[in-house]
Amino acid sequence: MKLQHHLGGLENLGPVDYEPRVFVEDWEQRIFGIHVAMMGLSTHLGDAGPQYPIDEVPTAFSSTWTWADLRKGAEAMNPFAYFQFRYYEKWLGGISGYFVSQGYVSEEELEAKAAEFLQDPALALPDGGDERIDDQVIRYLRGGDSPRQGPAESPAFAVGDRVTVKDVPPTDHTRLPGNLRGRTGTVERVFEGNYAYFCSTGPDGIGEPMPVYIVRFEPTEIWGELAEPGAVLYGEIYQAYLTPATEEQQ
Amino acid sequence: MTVQFGYPENREAGSAARVRALEALLIEKGVITGATVDKVLGYFETDMTPLNGARIVARAWTDPEFAGRLVKDTPAAVAELDLPVGMDGAEGEHLMAVANAPGVHNLVICTLCSCFPWPVLGLPPYWYKDPTFRARAAREPRVVLKEIGLDLDPSVELRVWDSSGHSRWFVVPSRPAGTEGMCEEELAALVTTESMIGIAEVPAPAA
Repeated sequence: MKLQHHLGGLENLGPVDYEPRVFVEDWEQRIFGIHVAMMGLSTHLGDAGPQYPIDEVPTAFSSTWTWADLRKGAEAMNPFAYFQFRYYEKWLGGISGYFVSQGYVSEEELEAKAAEFLQDPALALPDGGDERIDDQVIRYLRGGDSPRQGPAESPAFAVGDRVTVKDVPPTDHTRLPGNLRGRTGTVERVFEGNYAYFCSTGPDGIGEPMPVYIVRFEPTEIWGELAEPGAVLYGEIYQAYLTPATEEQQ
Repeated sequence: MTVQFGYPENREAGSAARVRALEALLIEKGVITGATVDKVLGYFETDMTPLNGARIVARAWTDPEFAGRLVKDTPAAVAELDLPVGMDGAEGEHLMAVANAPGVHNLVICTLCSCFPWPVLGLPPYWYKDPTFRARAAREPRVVLKEIGLDLDPSVELRVWDSSGHSRWFVVPSRPAGTEGMCEEELAALVTTESMIGIAEVPAPAA
């Protein structure tokens, strides 16, 4: 298992660092903007909910880049490093590593260029480029990338059903919060339609369109005596992660 | 012993130079333009801001029928308002509003990453993305809220929504006392991002 998949309920962490800013260093804004641009230029958007004219956008970006790719990077980190580095430091590592691994830039040219900027932080960025690239990125921000597809074909569970979360094999990426594995809850809502995920997570089980449920869990079912009274926990869970509760779990 | 927890020298300057180098190379190679990143950031300053969420909340406070529609079918209710285009855009494709009420308080978290309803709340503050908050708010939300300054009565049911699927949640906080004569615009000015995530209540206006 990966610690990153099991954060919910981890003990002995001490007080929350209550930092209300979105970015704590100016450079963090730039990596955020690059990530959004990659999502808006991703080749998969040609087939997305709102059909984007992605083939006509004159960008050199010819890859699929979604939240799944960013999340995979963070989930692949050494868990100690995951806690050590700030949010956007993880993004910078994942995104720059991606561009190098995909051959868009080499590590050598990235380091050489970084050395120039380290020497002279006021050095200007290149300008110019085809505006149609920017137009597509903004079009994506306005139009989004919904994973919903068609009406649900007879969902396996109904409101009120007792369901148990499967302990699926660990993979490089999941959308199943680890603290819910093996726990039993009650279906509170069945969403209309089926919901795909950006990629197949393999034996973890999501990717193809499937029903999604809101499942209500009693905290004592998850954490026993360590649970806090007076709270309820709702998870939004793909059908592939659920199985009917056994009789003794009813 | 190897140093496992050291930081690189020039931690911030090094990251700043590396991201600038990456942006410069991506512009040179035609992946993005010299204006792309600035345009993205500008979009979040003008179009996707917590002011949108505040206006939705203010409408819900002044129009009970709208408040009912908002929790029943959030995207349709949001589309009724005169907000910037894109409320159902990136990270707003499936908005879900949950309303506080006497005896009920809602809190939105994301234990796996940092899912957040961009079009209505803007970008998430650092504390929301912090692994400590994400880990602790799942099991001991009341204690965490109390540390941050919200002391919920033990009789209040605290509903915690973990954003692990397609929905992007936001909270409709309760309308504070002393706002009876206020118009929608004045009410919207009172609503904070924190209250729409669920770590705070909307404070009553200064007398």
